[in-house]
Amino acid sequence: MPALEVLVTDLAFGLLLGCVFAVIAHGLNLIWGVAKIVNVAHGVFIMLGAYGAYFLNLYLGINPLLSAPVDAAIGLAVGVGFYFGFLHRELRGKESIAQQSEMVTLVATFGLALFISNLALRLWTGNFVGIPWSPGSIFVGFLQLPLGALYVAIASVAIIALTHIFLSRTYLGNAIRAYSQDIPATQLMGINPTFVAAVGTALGFSVTMAGGALLSVWLPVGINPGMGALYAPISFVIVVLGGPGKMWGSLVGGISLAVIIDVGQAFVGTSLATAIAFLTLIPILLFRPEGILR
Amino acid sequence: MKIPKLPAIGPTLWGIGVFLLVLGGLAPWIPRFTLTILVNLLIFAALAYSLNFITGLTGYVNFGHVVFMAVGAYTLGYTVGTIRLHPLGGVALGGLVALVLALGLGAVTLRFRGVYFAIASLVTPLAGLNIVLVLPALGGGQGIFLNIGFDPLSWFYTIWAIIAAEVGLTYWITHGRLGYGIRAIKSDEDAAKSLGVNAPRLKLFLFALSGLFAGATGGVYAWTTSGIIPEAAFDLTFSLRMLAMIVIGGMGTLLGPLIGAIAVYLPSRFFLTIFIGTESIIIGLVVILIALFVPGGIVGTLRKYVPELRRILE
Amino acid sequence: MSQPAEPETGTPSAPKTGRGKLIAIVVAVLVLVAVGAAAVYYLTQPPGPTGTIKVGFTISLTGRYNVEGTNSRNGIMTAANWINSHGGIKAQGTVYNISLVFYDDQSIPGNVNTLYPQIVEQDKAQFLLAPYSTLLTGTAAPIADNYDRVMLSHGGAADTIWTQTTRRNLVEVLSPASVYLKGAVEWIHTNHAADKIAVLHESDPFSTLAADSAISYAQSLGLNVVYNQSYPTGATDLSPQLNAAMAAGADDLLGGGHFNDGLLIMNQLKTIWTPKFVSLLVAVTEPSFQAQLQATANNVTGPSQWESAVAYGPTLAQSLGLPWYGPTPTEFTQLYGSLNAGASPSYHSAEAGGALLVLAQAIGRANSLNTTDVRAALGNMHIMNFFGQFQIAASGLQIAHSMIVVQWQAGALKIVYPADVAQASVQYPYTGS
Repeated sequence: MPALEVLVTDLAFGLLLGCVFAVIAHGLNLIWGVAKIVNVAHGVFIMLGAYGAYFLNLYLGINPLLSAPVDAAIGLAVGVGFYFGFLHRELRGKESIAQQSEMVTLVATFGLALFISNLALRLWTGNFVGIPWSPGSIFVGFLQLPLGALYVAIASVAIIALTHIFLSRTYLGNAIRAYSQDIPATQLMGINPTFVAAVGTALGFSVTMAGGALLSVWLPVGINPGMGALYAPISFVIVVLGGPGKMWGSLVGGISLAVIIDVGQAFVGTSLATAIAFLTLIPILLFRPEGILR
Repeated sequence: MKIPKLPAIGPTLWGIGVFLLVLGGLAPWIPRFTLTILVNLLIFAALAYSLNFITGLTGYVNFGHVVFMAVGAYTLGYTVGTIRLHPLGGVALGGLVALVLALGLGAVTLRFRGVYFAIASLVTPLAGLNIVLVLPALGGGQGIFLNIGFDPLSWFYTIWAIIAAEVGLTYWITHGRLGYGIRAIKSDEDAAKSLGVNAPRLKLFLFALSGLFAGATGGVYAWTTSGIIPEAAFDLTFSLRMLAMIVIGGMGTLLGPLIGAIAVYLPSRFFLTIFIGTESIIIGLVVILIALFVPGGIVGTLRKYVPELRRILE
Repeated sequence: MSQPAEPETGTPSAPKTGRGKLIAIVVAVLVLVAVGAAAVYYLTQPPGPTGTIKVGFTISLTGRYNVEGTNSRNGIMTAANWINSHGGIKAQGTVYNISLVFYDDQSIPGNVNTLYPQIVEQDKAQFLLAPYSTLLTGTAAPIADNYDRVMLSHGGAADTIWTQTTRRNLVEVLSPASVYLKGAVEWIHTNHAADKIAVLHESDPFSTLAADSAISYAQSLGLNVVYNQSYPTGATDLSPQLNAAMAAGADDLLGGGHFNDGLLIMNQLKTIWTPKFVSLLVAVTEPSFQAQLQATANNVTGPSQWESAVAYGPTLAQSLGLPWYGPTPTEFTQLYGSLNAGASPSYHSAEAGGALLVLAQAIGRANSLNTTDVRAALGNMHIMNFFGQFQIAASGLQIAHSMIVVQWQAGALKIVYPADVAQASVQYPYTGS
């Protein structure tokens, strides 16, 4: 049985990491909730967000926290492009997405993932890069917590809270939520479904890329074109754990996953803890498919 | 001259059959390095056919198909390494173990709707990799090195037999009674169930077949590389390549996986002198275009635009 | 998505299946012609010119191992250049030049087992070098036996290749994985035997072997190993493990895996733990390790197969009674620089170049190009070249080459162990700056 101090430290790190996991999954959650599709290429956009932060730091000296809003803006544009490229044909005015269309988007976004990650490989080579930003650490009792991780954890929660406010308090946000629940009703209320769906998608991508920038703080040497292959499954598991379409579900799912891995490795080692964390997906889907949150 | 009446099977099956027979007959005379290229091509084709059983025929996208291949590879690695079993036995056992895994996995995950199935499938190889890493009996992180020889001819005939079985089974399934049920599931599963199609059993049957052949092929793969290490066995690139192959070739068709394998593998051999990611960029682009605009893949397009081929190509 | 296949309805009418069969027959004939043409072409290839010995190999110029692979290739080419400009290889009265034939295997095993047959059958290589990395070397090894060609391993270090299999023609030039961390353990035992050791390593074959061997060796010397964990390749957060190692009361940290995780460990140690002694695999010997970490890299040690400053030379060889062949380490470094725009050779370059020199010497001593003779010569040789000593066990495993331990001291990489080749002594403890 590991020492209590060790477990508390692991729990603390798990909480910090979990917040960042939450924000990178949050974009997926948004798109899933709005357009009811799963973007297999999700990991690629996290990667692009991380590279965005890297290049902003390399050429303009901007630290990742400040790069996040820049990435968010780029993400908006990317999201709109993605919507019209991939989703518009399938969703145009339909009440719900058909089974065939689901498969089409799965395959098409899979192709997109292949395309973009290998294009990135060609452009930026497979060398692992990182951002040398280390604001030091802070002492909380016996815990020594890296300040960088703390800052991005706060930023992540802030982003999730902002999207929540946007969706529940603004007119456009409410329109997006209406769209995700009932498309014909939205139309009857005079809202243009295409516009709403595009904005919802754009928001999702914006959050994803900002998340990638924040994630880069945890990756002093981890940014590489293939990183999407790790963070996409993590995002999917988080969204399923928390409940697709549930805004705070991202946080619940993200923290749960990170804590399982970080605390679990003290008991069974990293590999087994990671395996268990991923496999929690299956009992959730079997017994509580709507996610942990009610 | 009276030609004996040949069995009434489709022209595509004929074509593939003759192609395989000719190849099989010529094999001993093919220069060995060409033979090794052929073996690798056929390994990919066999994997594509195995994925075709589940993803091509039912539309359930299985991103984690590589996990069956890994199980087969490790079974061969373990049996040949520890109890000195002949690699052929390892291949057969590999298929069996993967079959059992597929039954277990499928019983649970096939209940999920398409999208959730896809996500669950994505997660299985990651979990599998991490589990193998902590099993010393399977070599843990060190992997398994096999004391077997370089034998392209044996590899060739083994993979040849696997493909022949897969092609035959694909034909038999799509042309028989099962074919109707499968097509019904693919277009609208709920409607199919209400019409009395036993969807769960059918899906499980196909999933088990896909696991069986992927496992056997994984065994052959470990045979050709004289060993296996975890990162190579659970390499997600295999899953992605297989999926690209059947999408490009034509999902659910008889010729699709073979054509897709040729279309994806052979150029990559000639891209060896060019930067590694280049062919994947093109493959990714092609997959996007096909998924959005040309859903039938190569076979589907040929059938659509060349009417004479409709009776022949499938 | 795809059109459903239409089942046959009744007996097909003759003309339509006739057409299908016709197409099938045409395809079969085309295949026959193609294969026949290929057979004729390859069988009538003329043999290579005399006076040249062809050495073939695949190397990872792209893909996962592209950095190490490219360095290895450059080392091989440097060695070939030296051999050809210093009298070539003499066998049976003829002077031979070395001609290299190689392909990029993209770090993929599937390419290895198609390219080596091509190298032997089509390019008519007479001798082979292995690819880079344990995985690819393991795949290439049976091919060497099958085609009866000697193959020298310069980048595949896992002992299991030689202990789990019997490969008659595979010979190891570099030190095996099991001895990588031996030097560090020995030094700790001699100087700080009361230190408690933590081992944290990547779970790939090479790192696992190196770490496991280090642990057994440490325990056999009576050292106390208090923490032993592995992490999967590509792990992004090792803070829990480093925390746990510290909590277990460890004084020293051994392990790592490859370049990226080595850097990750050092970065995370900054805010978690300051061990008194750190020894990491692979990462430490790269110049970019120090460039990226700056002061944090100071006093970090690591094992190396070779560094430019090693004291291997004709004098040392003579004092040990060993024959010497080839350039000195300084000469190799200079030649490498002149051929690679001033770059310095990494140990991958040296181990690969060293392998080619060993091969050249073996051919000369065997006085024959015959595989059996050369393999026998390799088995009987105990020599020294710029890369170090060479002597193999009956299985082909390397037993005489020793690893050195290097340490970053004030921004410069110094050899600190063993004593007979050291430039400086080990600085202890590690302070994180």
